[in-house]
This record gives sequence, structure tokens and C-alpha cells, in this order.
Amino acid sequence: MNPAVPIDDDRAEAPKVLLVDDDEVNLLLTSAALRERGFDVTEATSGETALRLLGDWLPDVIVLDAIMPGLDGFQTCREVRAMAGFESMPVLMLTGLDDDASITRAYEAGATDFFVKSTQWSLLAGRLQYLLRSSRTRQELERSKSKLARAQDLARMGSFDWRASAKSLALSVETLRVFGFPPNKSLGFRGLMRMVPGGERRSFLRLVREIVAHSSVLYADVTVKLPEGQRQRIIHVEAEPEFNEHGVVAGYTGIVQDVTDRRIADQQIRHLANFDTLTGLPNRRQLIWRTERALEQARRLGHQCAVLLIDLDRFKLVNDTLGHAAGDELLTEVARRLRSCVRHSDMVLEGALEGVGQRSHRLLEAVGRLGGDEFVALLPEVADERDAERVANRIIDLMREPIYVAGQDCFVTASVGIALYPRDGETVADLLRNSDVAMYAVKAQGRNAATLYHPQLAGRGRQKLELESALHKAIERDELVLHYQPKIDVRAAKMVGVEALMRWERNGQLIPPGDFIPLAEESGLIIPLSEWAIRQAARQAKAWQLSFGFADSIAVNLPNQLFERTDLVEHIHDAVSHYGVPHHSIELEITETGLMKDLQNVIPSLHRLNEIGVEISIDDFGTGYSSLAYLTTLPISELKVDRSFIRDLGITPQSAAVATAIIALARSLGLRVVAEGVETLRQMDVLHRLGCSVMQGFLFSKPLPAAELERWLESTVLPRKAPWIVPADEDAGPQVAAGPV
Amino acid sequence: MLNPDHSLRDRAGLADAGTSTDEVLDPQALARLRELDPAGKTGLLERVLRAFEVSVARLVPQLEQGRASGDLHAIAHVAHTLKSSSASIGALELSRLCADCERRVREARIDGLDAVLDAMTLQIGHAVRALKHELAPRA
Repeated sequence: MNPAVPIDDDRAEAPKVLLVDDDEVNLLLTSAALRERGFDVTEATSGETALRLLGDWLPDVIVLDAIMPGLDGFQTCREVRAMAGFESMPVLMLTGLDDDASITRAYEAGATDFFVKSTQWSLLAGRLQYLLRSSRTRQELERSKSKLARAQDLARMGSFDWRASAKSLALSVETLRVFGFPPNKSLGFRGLMRMVPGGERRSFLRLVREIVAHSSVLYADVTVKLPEGQRQRIIHVEAEPEFNEHGVVAGYTGIVQDVTDRRIADQQIRHLANFDTLTGLPNRRQLIWRTERALEQARRLGHQCAVLLIDLDRFKLVNDTLGHAAGDELLTEVARRLRSCVRHSDMVLEGALEGVGQRSHRLLEAVGRLGGDEFVALLPEVADERDAERVANRIIDLMREPIYVAGQDCFVTASVGIALYPRDGETVADLLRNSDVAMYAVKAQGRNAATLYHPQLAGRGRQKLELESALHKAIERDELVLHYQPKIDVRAAKMVGVEALMRWERNGQLIPPGDFIPLAEESGLIIPLSEWAIRQAARQAKAWQLSFGFADSIAVNLPNQLFERTDLVEHIHDAVSHYGVPHHSIELEITETGLMKDLQNVIPSLHRLNEIGVEISIDDFGTGYSSLAYLTTLPISELKVDRSFIRDLGITPQSAAVATAIIALARSLGLRVVAEGVETLRQMDVLHRLGCSVMQGFLFSKPLPAAELERWLESTVLPRKAPWIVPADEDAGPQVAAGPV
Repeated sequence: MLNPDHSLRDRAGLADAGTSTDEVLDPQALARLRELDPAGKTGLLERVLRAFEVSVARLVPQLEQGRASGDLHAIAHVAHTLKSSSASIGALELSRLCADCERRVREARIDGLDAVLDAMTLQIGHAVRALKHELAPRA
């Protein structure tokens, strides 16, 4: 009839029952009946025994006989309830059939339920199951309640309830904590509002009244000054109306949450997204946003606005010579000065500008950093171009003061290009481009000035652009050629090498290097151009080797940035290997200025080149400011005396002095010395007498195409038929022309 | 309502004469007891009898002493305890007498209590005997 089935499917263990009855017969039968129904029964014959057992053991349910000698069921129940951990233990009190008094006393003693003693065991088992189930549900409820409380606590969140009828606001313990109060604090709406600063309180109350009037949802952030320490917090409030059966608002329930940290994080994120981390100025994104808003306002209100593009002159030099840290320091100081030139506003501006008033566009005024050493000043309203020029001049003036970085005063100047809306452009992109054009015009005219955009400037820019794109195609179109100028040893009257010079034949016209090399350097095209020149020189060396046994070197001019490339050595190696000529067939010339500009980065390259047999020649020597100490350690082979000293040779004594010094220096350092730009016999004679016998110049030959150079050799050098060739039978020394030396 | 004295005497006489277990122990209650230990594996019935005997051996002197000294509280305690244990083993008449006794003490109706107590004593003897008889075929 009653098979022994597990009483509870979802519980692996048999529920533990503590059965307390002083009557052995009942105890025996009841426990047998309960065991039969799957309970794990522990028996106790008195209240005292039961309490002792509970000292170190926790059953799932306690069944207590009400009437017992000694400690009776009621007293036992009371003591059980007082024990820690037994507050919600289910306790079933067994009473007699007609014992109403015991039932009442059972509840008073804290029993969960009562059960009239009966021999109908299944009824008792059923009641116990019910008790266990409800106890478990209650435990889960309490656990989830405490979880919720903890979650709210972690989220700095709390709930509240407002009843319209009672006009009362009930705050949860968690809500009180959010506001910095202990759980027992009594706090009403009025008390809460007193914590909100005056102005905000009025607008919040207005909002609340409006929301209640429309039975709508409340969703707001409120600033609150917490009681202790006067900390200011941002509290987020959300509440929804509750309607009664008549559809009338009965009250509001909602939550509060301390969102201060999130707000701060949001602000930081917005700041990072909109401001330059180095200088703290608005970044490109924020600048463009502000400019767009300024243009909208200008369009609407019909005024002009100005964009000033500010580029520091020779900033790269500071970075290169003093290091990036110094460069950063300098930019920071520049930013500080620029900021003082305008009514700079640091506000993070996003979204709409409404509500700030008619002149709200004034808030847009700022200096921002576009990137690198480029800054923009946005003037949201200018009366005319003179307004903008005044600001530009103020900027240039402020830059005049030296900036102290890395232990020294740096002089930084700026070039400023100005574009005005609507005259010079209708869009942000147009204004930025045209201010850029104007700024480049300033650079081209010698920097350190400001200029207004002018359509003609753009024309010049376009020309430059065309040239640049044509240069891109020059290599593949075979428009580039190398011309070669011989280096002559006048003592032996023979050619000892050549210098390769790049020429660009464009549309049948020969473009001189001065017209396109700077452009190539600016655009970075110089790198493929130089690499092409190296390959070309190696090819020519091979051709001449086969043709007339050429075994000297071809000097190729390289800009300093090419020496910074780690693949330069490999590139030269590849070129000479490809054409099967020795490494020394290629000699590299770097200008003294170029070398000194970036000495630290160039030196490693020089060493590696030297190791593979490529010699280095210093071009235009005497024009830069070489550190003589460096010269002694650099792996160089040749100095080329700048043509400016040669030109005046035999005319001013100073030139001779410089030439003499350079020649002496070269000799004592064991370097070859070559004089460039030799045009007259007199110059040749002086140089020769000073001890310099290798020369280059129109006196011997202008730079020639490869084939012509070969013909020149055949017709001039080999037959020894040229004015500069001293007949072999004459005196060992060349004829010295008359005149002061 | 029946005159308790009359009914008591009536039943006491019946019980006196009868030796059948059925008349002392309620068959339904016995059946429920057997269900708790259908195969007799745990020897439940025997343990119950022993427990009942022990209980009676403890309670009867308490009852006698209570009667001698007129300690109604002690009498009520014995009646209360026996009330449920006798019901459990199916000694319904004994249980009824115990309940009657308990009620009388609670309501302070002393007259006629002696007769009830006498009947109780008699029924205790019957119950113990009947239980032993019940166990005999199995023992």
C-alpha cells in the first residue's frame, strides 16, 4: 500500500528528522513509520537530549512532542529558535486531538506548524514533506534576497517606493546606503531634496512635477552632496508609475544608482577621444567637429570665420638633435602659448549647442593640434581678414621668445596660413586645405610669417602637384638619366673617377636637379630615385669596364635620409653584384650639411659601407659646421672643397686661406681632397701649388652623357690634347700663372 | 452523552470476559503496525511490545503513587502518555479511558475518576496480554 519511495525526487539525501518524544512507544512507531517513508530519523526522548544533539548537528526538520516531562516541547522549541542558525528551522509540534491550548502555545513558542498525533503515518509524512519544501523555498528566497541586496550594494544601487495615497516615500536599506545613511535612518523626499544643490534642485523638482502630472517615466541624473565629508556624487534615478485598477497612478517604484564613477570614466573617455594627450588641446576630431559647428553658425548668422594653420619651422631639427622628449616638451610649451592667443575653450563639445545662446559659437573658439607640429586656431567669428591676421601675428610674436628645453634655449618660429569662410572655402576640408596652401607659401618664402590664402597660391600648389606626379612616373618612363663629370688628376693628366649627376628629360626639356631634387626630398621620392641612380651607376661602371677598362669609381650623391635606411648596404651590394663590378665601383657623396644634420643615425651606415669597400666622400666641404673631432673618426675617404672657395681663388686671399686649410686638414687626416667647380687655369695652378691635384670642373668637362664622356676621353685625355695638360717634356710643376696667391 | 460510569462498567465487564485480541486491539491499528514491518525483519512488533511493557512498568507505579497521594498532575501525565501510545498499538479502549482521565483532571472533575482509573489499570493488563498473544504465532 505504501511502498518505500524516496519522498523527494530532487534531493539526493534522505531528509534528516529529529524526532523528540518522551514516550518510547510513540517514538518507536513514529520513527519506524517515517523511516519507512524515506526519512532519516534521529530519536530523542527528551527536550534536553534534543538540544544536546543540536549543539553540533543540523537536521532538516524537527518534530517535537508538545507535552513532555522536564523540558516540554514549547520550551524546547523556544530554545531551538534562540540558537544561531535555527531561526528558520522548520519545527513541527505534535499535539493531542482536543488540545487547542497547545496549538496556540506551539505557535507562540515559534513552531512552524502543529500536527495532531495520529497513527495515520502517511499524514505526518506528508506534512513533513510540505514543511521541508516550504523551508527550502524560503531558504532560496532568502538567499536570492541577500544576493539581490549584495548585487545592489555592488552596483551602488537601491530601490524606492512612493505611494500617492499616503504621500510617503519608502527607501530600501540599499538606497539609504547609496545616499550615505545607516539602515535605520528615516528620510523623506524633502530630506533627499535638501541634498541636491539649489539650482539643480529647482529644475529636478520641476521635472518630477511634470512627470507625475503626465504619469510618465522618470529617468534622470541628479547631483547630490552626501552628508559625511560633503562628497559630491551623481545619482541616477529611474522610476515607473504604478496604476490601480481604475487606471489611476497609485504610486511610483524605482531605483537609484550612484553613477559617479561611470560618469567620471565617461568623461575621461570623451576627453581622450577629443583631446590630444600630449598638449591637452582639442585633437583633429574635436577640431573638425568644432569647425563644422562654427561654419553652421556662420552660415546661419551670416558672419565670417577663420581657420589658421600653424606649422612650426624646422621642428624636425629639434626632434632630431635634442631627442623626442625635448620635442614633446617644446610642443607642450608651444601649445600653452598658442592657447593664450585665442579665447580658448577647453569644454568637451559634442551633440547640440542649443540652449547656450546666440553667441554660443564663441565657445567653439580654440587652438587644437592636428598632429605632429601642426596646430589650428579656429576663430568662429571674425569681422574681416585683418582680425585673423592680428591673431596670426600675435602667434608669430609669441613664438619669438626662446623656449627652454633640454637645457638650452630653442628658437622656434612658425609659419601660419589663413583661410576665411566663406571667401576661401565653404567646407571644413576646403578651409583646411587652403590654409595649408597658404602655410606652404609662407614656408617657401622663408618661413616665420603669416599669409592669407589666395587662389594664385593654389595654382602654384597645383603646379607642384603635377610635377610631383610626373616625377613619380619619370623612372618608369626612362626620363631620368645620369650625366657624368670626370674627376681629373692634373699631375698625371688622367681621369681618376667620375661624379654621376641626375638629369630629368621631361617633354624634351632638361630639368636641372635644383628644380626637382628638393621636391623629391620633400615627397620621399628621393629614395627610389637614389636607388635607381645606384643601379644605373653600377651598370655604367660595367659598361665602361668592358669598353675601355674603367676601374675607378662612380660617385653617386645621396641625401642623408638614405643613409638612415638599414637596407642601403644590401641595396648597393645587390646592384654591384648584379652587374659584376667590385664594390668600390660605387662611391657615395653626402653633403657636409646633410651629414652633420643626422650624424648619429648616419655613422653606422658609413661604417658598414666602408667595410664592404664603398668609399664615402664629403661634398660641399667647408659650408657646413663640421665638428673636426668627428672628422678624425668618421670612416670617410675624400673631402670635396666647395665650389664657392674655388670660385674666388686667386681673387680674394681669404678663399685661398680656406682652401689651404682644407687641403692641409685632408692631408693630415690621410684623406683625398678634390676641388670642385674649377673653371680656369689660374684656379687649377693655385690648387696644384697648394697640394691639391684632383679637380673637377668646366675647365675639364661639364657633366656629359656616358657616350659623350667616352668620346671626350678619346679625343682629349688620351691624346693629351687639352689646355690643362702640361706637355710631358716641361717642368714637373705646372706653369703658374701670374697674380697674387 | 452516555453516563461515563455506566459505560465504563459495561466495557470493563466486556473486557474482563473477552480474551480475544480483536476485542482489545483494533485490527486496523494492528494492520498499520504490521505494514511498518511487513516481513518482520526489524522485529518491530516485538520492540513495540517491549517498549510498551517498559513504559507501563514505569507508568503504573507512577499512577499508583499519584492515586495514593492524590497527585492529579502525576495522574494526568501518565494518562497523557498512555493515551497516545495505547492508540498507536490499537488499544483504543485504553486510549479512550486515558483521554477521559486526562480531561477529567484538566476540568477538575474528581468524582468518578477512581472508576476510570480502575478501568485503566484493567485495560493496561488486557493490552499487554493481547499484544503478547498477537506476537505469539510469530515468536
